[in-house]
Amino acid sequence: MKDTVMIVDDDPMAQVTVKRILESAGLKVTTVDSGEACIREVEKGFNGLILMDIMMPGMDGWETIQSLVDRGIMKGSIICMLTGKESPDDRMKMLKEYILDYIRKPFDQKKFVRLVKEYLSYL
Amino acid sequence: MQSGDRVSHFQAGVFMDKRKIVIIGSSGAGLPILKTIFENMPRLQGPIVLIQHMPIYVNQTVCDNLAAKTEMTVKIAELDERLQSGVLYVAPSEIHLKLVQNHQIRLAGREKVNFVCPSIDVAMMSVVKEPSILPMGILLSGIGDDGIKGIGHIKRIGGITIALEKNPDIITNMADEAFAAGYVDWVLNPDEIRNKLMAHLGWEIKNR
Repeated sequence: MKDTVMIVDDDPMAQVTVKRILESAGLKVTTVDSGEACIREVEKGFNGLILMDIMMPGMDGWETIQSLVDRGIMKGSIICMLTGKESPDDRMKMLKEYILDYIRKPFDQKKFVRLVKEYLSYL
Repeated sequence: MQSGDRVSHFQAGVFMDKRKIVIIGSSGAGLPILKTIFENMPRLQGPIVLIQHMPIYVNQTVCDNLAAKTEMTVKIAELDERLQSGVLYVAPSEIHLKLVQNHQIRLAGREKVNFVCPSIDVAMMSVVKEPSILPMGILLSGIGDDGIKGIGHIKRIGGITIALEKNPDIITNMADEAFAAGYVDWVLNPDEIRNKLMAHLGWEIKNR
């Protein structure tokens, strides 16, 4: 569904906070706590906007995106990084065709919701 | 302008006798910036080519979203098309876009350059120096090297170069590095880029 957002973050507090903000704006939100779980959801047919954290145990955000690309299952989803990391590292350069934005936390809530809705409109 | 006047064209500034082409390079966080630039943009008197790093399955919706904002025709660039005034050509993903003799689109080559395809460098560096042409290169947001050599090339051949100004909310490494390399004439925010585009290309003035 085009109004669906998946939050990929191992931090339960971050999941809850972002989920609350987006659900208040009328969006449907799924949360997963790892890159592996994200891949499983996409394999099951998730289509929507993926908000990807970077630092996660197991597969980090970049590895997760690379895996989605390598498996050829990216179609139908858009990815934005959502992270407390100030600057992306060099691995983003290799994946930037698949990542439409790098959103830093903390963020302005209204701007964030506007951005998310805009990215959903491209699906 | 009086009622009943025919449509005329307004073209400010110098270089009115030169044919103008614009190439915009854009990467991460570029789509909202493009939306601001093209919001209520009239039909400009020149072609614009857009290289946006994005997955192929959003190419058409990106075109559609931009088309809804502007009076320009917005379309995915096609092989062998000749550049026409008033058209924003969006480079399709997964193939490089070059200009042939500054007026025809060539789509060829799928090997990544600077980790991307299409590459902003490839597009901008295909513009050739020609006395009757005044190119403009614009770099928006994103990380990485793609676009830096390209905008340097535009500057070297006598074109006008613009980079997006720093913004704490978005990554502007690409634009910052082009500026640090001395390749940028103007560092502007999206509204200023919009105004510069309009002044550079001119636009139609319609009858009331």
